[in-house]
Amino acid sequence: MPRLQLGDWIDSAVTYLRDHFAWLFDIITNVVSGMYDGLDAVLGAPAPLLLAGILAVVALWLRGPTAAVLTFAGFALIDSIQQWDQAMATLSLVLVATVITIVLAIPLGIWAARNRTVSAVLRPVLDFMQTMPAFVYLIPGIFFFGVGQVPGVISCIVFAIPPGVRMTELGIRQVDGDLIEAAEAFGTTSRNTLLRVQLPLALPTIMAGINQVIMLGLSMVVTAGMVGGGGLGASVFTAISQVNIGLGFEGGISVVILAMYLDRMTSSLGTRVSPLGRRATAALTSVRGASIWNYRPQTGIAVVGVVVLALVAGGMNIFGGSADTNTAAAGKNVGDGRSVNIGYIPWDEGIASSFLWKEALEERGYQPKLSQYDVGALYTGLSAGKLDFQTDAWLPTTHQSYWDKYKDSLDDLGSWYGPTSLELSVPSYVKGVDSLADLKGQGGKFKGRIIGIEPGAGMMKALNDKVLKQYGLEGEYQVTTGSTASMLAQLDRSLKAKEPVVVTLWSPHWAYSKYDLKKLKDPMGAWGAGDGLHTLTHKGFAAKEPQVAQWLKDFKLTEPQLSSLEAAIQDAGQNHEQDGVRAWLKKNPGLIDKIAPVKKPAAAAKG
Amino acid sequence: MSRLQVEHLYKVFGRQPEEAVRRLEAGADRDELREDGVTPAVIDASFEVSEGEVFVVMGLSGSGKSTLLRTLNGLLPPTAGRVLFDGQDLTALNDTELRRVRSHSISMVFQHFALFPHRSVLENAAYGLEVQGVARAERERRAGEALEMTGLGGWEKSWPDQLSGGMQQRVGLARALATEAPVLLMDEAFSALDPLIRREMQQQLVDLQKTLHKTIVFITHDPHEAVRLGNRIAVMRDGRIVQNGTVEELLLQPADDYVASFMEDVDRGRALAGVSAGSAGTPGSTLGKESADA
Repeated sequence: MPRLQLGDWIDSAVTYLRDHFAWLFDIITNVVSGMYDGLDAVLGAPAPLLLAGILAVVALWLRGPTAAVLTFAGFALIDSIQQWDQAMATLSLVLVATVITIVLAIPLGIWAARNRTVSAVLRPVLDFMQTMPAFVYLIPGIFFFGVGQVPGVISCIVFAIPPGVRMTELGIRQVDGDLIEAAEAFGTTSRNTLLRVQLPLALPTIMAGINQVIMLGLSMVVTAGMVGGGGLGASVFTAISQVNIGLGFEGGISVVILAMYLDRMTSSLGTRVSPLGRRATAALTSVRGASIWNYRPQTGIAVVGVVVLALVAGGMNIFGGSADTNTAAAGKNVGDGRSVNIGYIPWDEGIASSFLWKEALEERGYQPKLSQYDVGALYTGLSAGKLDFQTDAWLPTTHQSYWDKYKDSLDDLGSWYGPTSLELSVPSYVKGVDSLADLKGQGGKFKGRIIGIEPGAGMMKALNDKVLKQYGLEGEYQVTTGSTASMLAQLDRSLKAKEPVVVTLWSPHWAYSKYDLKKLKDPMGAWGAGDGLHTLTHKGFAAKEPQVAQWLKDFKLTEPQLSSLEAAIQDAGQNHEQDGVRAWLKKNPGLIDKIAPVKKPAAAAKG
Repeated sequence: MSRLQVEHLYKVFGRQPEEAVRRLEAGADRDELREDGVTPAVIDASFEVSEGEVFVVMGLSGSGKSTLLRTLNGLLPPTAGRVLFDGQDLTALNDTELRRVRSHSISMVFQHFALFPHRSVLENAAYGLEVQGVARAERERRAGEALEMTGLGGWEKSWPDQLSGGMQQRVGLARALATEAPVLLMDEAFSALDPLIRREMQQQLVDLQKTLHKTIVFITHDPHEAVRLGNRIAVMRDGRIVQNGTVEELLLQPADDYVASFMEDVDRGRALAGVSAGSAGTPGSTLGKESADA
């Protein structure tokens, strides 16, 4: 078979779209991010427990007292495990995605129900959207929509549209043909047949579709978190990258609470708003009789409840005052409120250095914005100019493939920490294995496995191409591929069971402080020289912010500095990284002035 | 004069229906067309229905009677031929004009009731008026009167699924009556009901007709029902009308064995006596000589 260059065509199509339809994507980006920001501002404004109260009133209206109590308890739990802001961000993301999905899916479904050709054309397109793995279009999505919430929203929409369209089409098609005929026999226009007969009767099915839309949207939030979507997705992504099972569960349970709330509310909304549903409810109440557990407030009463709570929330915001003050000390306000976008991978050294810079830039009057990404997404965002800089580039080896791909649009400001090293490590209780050479002949002990990480990682390539070859380990050992998180989980498991295990690891890494591990020596130098941790900027950043670029260029941390900073952040806990940085800065006074020096105030005044 | 007039009407389903009509006109057999994948449902039907008359179309299932009925209000456009309503050719009307005829002049009652399950009894009865654009208070008053007429006073706020089959069809009848259309098309309207209820409904229709003098085309497969209700009966077989005549004509001079076997079970004495007793309108009269407008 000749090789069909399908991939190349897609590449050039993406480039063409990016070059010629930038205006269109900008409009979409602005609309979507505008909707998201607005909704997030509204949901984020009230005190958590007040908003939980509002949501509970909605639950009371739709499902009664039990649901209201459970709703309040669920959202209070989210607040108490400090996932509230993330949960509201996720809720905003899902609601924006749902609204856009509904606006697109219902007309498409109606059209498909009334036209067999449209239905036949849509079907494979919907299959495509539903089954194409999200990452395939998520990374190109960054080219079009930048990093942040928009590609997350777009991926939710792509994933969630199919059930919306299908259920709408199904709902309309399954309306009894006799009823359509009756409507026609009385002279109803086809538009009115749709509005008065088909849609009301299809409504329960359509609502089931909307319910599916929301649930699928929620299931995409973790993926969205990997491309800077923030919210609970980012919480979960961070936690699993660090094998922090507890935090991962807290993020996960928050997603579950949101999902259950949205699921129950939308399915009840179906019966509450549709005439058929009202008919069913009326029948049910007459059977069960009135009881406090069946109490549903009138819509009016529910609206009053929501409005009162919302007013209380608004009042508290006005009178509570906002604590937003400029933290830049007089004479040191270099940034003048200009924003700087920092991207980071949720690895310890990336979090530590990025939050250190966030604090430093705030001190200097900038408005730094931090967002976290998967490695591929981070490089894509940086090269597209949607991010200004990142501090966690492992060069020249580990991130070589990304650097080669994007170097034309990136600037390397040099290494701030190094050298790092790549290695294979074993638990220190494994006796008689101290260097890579000692692995030979010990394959049986390790079940012939070396626990690897992501197949695309530069270190995996080095391991397979050089290290195994030079030490003659090929054939005896298989390198398993997976993820950093799965490698660490396997390491933890083997350590608990006191089993021998050999894993791919690198320094700096928190695993060395948490576990008692032994780095295998590399007498032949097969791994090559260690990487440095480089700061990369989008090309042109140095021209835009020469002062920041200069600071970044001069930035250096020593090993004790970095490990103590990481430890301080770890102590402060997730979502309190900046507090950790501040605590650490207290122990390291003057560091900000050292990494971000400002010229003498007199000189600044003259300038 | 005649309210409805059907002239050489054909309805053919399948590919190239006009071609099939030409072959039928040339004397081709229905079965040989079927082999080519086209189904002639109605072949060369012609009849007239006069004002205030109950015209029954009777036949076995598949004989084309329901298709014929649906060409009368344009739910199915005929392949060839004309349908004249008060002298106006329905096949020549555009969609808007046709919808107007349906909403104001020709109502329909369905075999399986076809009530809207998301509307209350009153809202169902008011549906036709809603389509006409009658204001809410007015249409609810008139729908209430129609329900009263069919014996459903007091059930306005109920839902269709709370009613028995017979009551549901009374709602269907009230919906058709509420628009005050002069013509009623009834498609096996009582066939889905059990025998006792069916008799009751037939009697109610006869009683209503005494005061309302509607022009009714009634489809049935039941000769007893045909005899009870019809002033004239057309018997259909394989898409053709094989005989069109009064009850006496069908009983006494059946056109062929098919008609004769259809009428075999009918109690002749009662049928011949009942024609004049039961139905309003024009028993045994010639067409176009009477008017119930007065």
